[in-house]
Amino acid sequence: MLRKLCLTLRCGAYNVRQNFKGVDVRAHPFSGRLMAEDADKQEPPSLDEFSERLDRARGETDGEKPQRVSGAAWGRALRVSTDMLAGLIVGILLGLGLDRLLGTSPWLLLAGIGLGFAAGLRNIGKALKD
Amino acid sequence: MLRLKAAGPMEQFEILPIVKLDFGGLDISLTNSSLWMLIGLAAILIFFFSATRRVSIIPGRLQSMAEVLYSFIFDLVRDTIGPEGRKFFPYVFSLFIFIFVLNLFGMIPSIPGTPAEIHTFTPTSHLIVTLALAMLTITIVVIYGFWKNGLGFLRLFAPSGQPLPMYLILVPVEIISFLSRPLSLAIRLFANMFAGHIILKVFAGFVVSLIGAGGGWFLLGLAPFLGVTAVTMLEFLVAGLQAYVFAILTCIYLSDAAHASDH
Repeated sequence: MLRKLCLTLRCGAYNVRQNFKGVDVRAHPFSGRLMAEDADKQEPPSLDEFSERLDRARGETDGEKPQRVSGAAWGRALRVSTDMLAGLIVGILLGLGLDRLLGTSPWLLLAGIGLGFAAGLRNIGKALKD
Repeated sequence: MLRLKAAGPMEQFEILPIVKLDFGGLDISLTNSSLWMLIGLAAILIFFFSATRRVSIIPGRLQSMAEVLYSFIFDLVRDTIGPEGRKFFPYVFSLFIFIFVLNLFGMIPSIPGTPAEIHTFTPTSHLIVTLALAMLTITIVVIYGFWKNGLGFLRLFAPSGQPLPMYLILVPVEIISFLSRPLSLAIRLFANMFAGHIILKVFAGFVVSLIGAGGGWFLLGLAPFLGVTAVTMLEFLVAGLQAYVFAILTCIYLSDAAHASDH
């Protein structure tokens, strides 16, 4: 049951992609190329076989790869600024809070600004690494 | 003479109670923010129930849409967290869809003349909403991190292979860096939605004022009109992108928690 569901889901993505290319999948349920492959077979292909060939076909026609990479790059660019800012804010807030708690104003605030700045840079470093 | 009134750019963010409720002195009124969250939730439920009502190998339109969303997030979770990410898929998927739908519904124009309580509202343009979602993510990260790695999770704060005195600075920096994660998540989503909606309102306000000024002024109104058209399209991109960024960062943080002891 679960396997069937998974398969359905994967077929869906494949069919949509084929539809985008202007190939009418519904006319040939198992799509033109896949159909040609088993033209010599009389029996309808089993789900396992179909899944296997679907994977192969997807490997060949993965045209959306570059798009996903550019989306990730966009996301990364947007991450950097807020990551820096958030590090600084947390550093300042921690410094202020500890100062109030321990009565050491303004030394921990100054340390917090420095460490927060470093943490912001560290965030950026991490964001650019993954 | 046209009688048009431009609302101020901040009015769209006002929280207005619809049904006043009180729970032991706590204000839990149904507000326009919670109304739009409920509308978003209802839309998601209706969409997925109708998409999966009749599941077939060759999917129809609705089923295809649901499947594309499903496999998109499924691939994201698998690629970022790895095989043990499977159990987080429901959470990441719900988070993504919820933020995505709230962002998109915020783009629906309000019907003029209706009471302000039911005007379109973007719950994700409020810091408290995005912060709650971010805190939920970080809570899961911390609990899962300790459950999976035990005290080894703390190794996240002390990257190995540094000279000993460096740890005096490195550990506080790593702790602040970790604490800044929920804030960074929350601020990013909130600021993008907030700023985008303000820009939209300001540009649209220019158009309305210039048309209202009469005479040849309305010709000048063409420039902000083109601007507001472009910004609207940009906002649709931002709505999707910010939901995606929230989901991918959730995955990255969960992956950190899952692999903390390898650091």
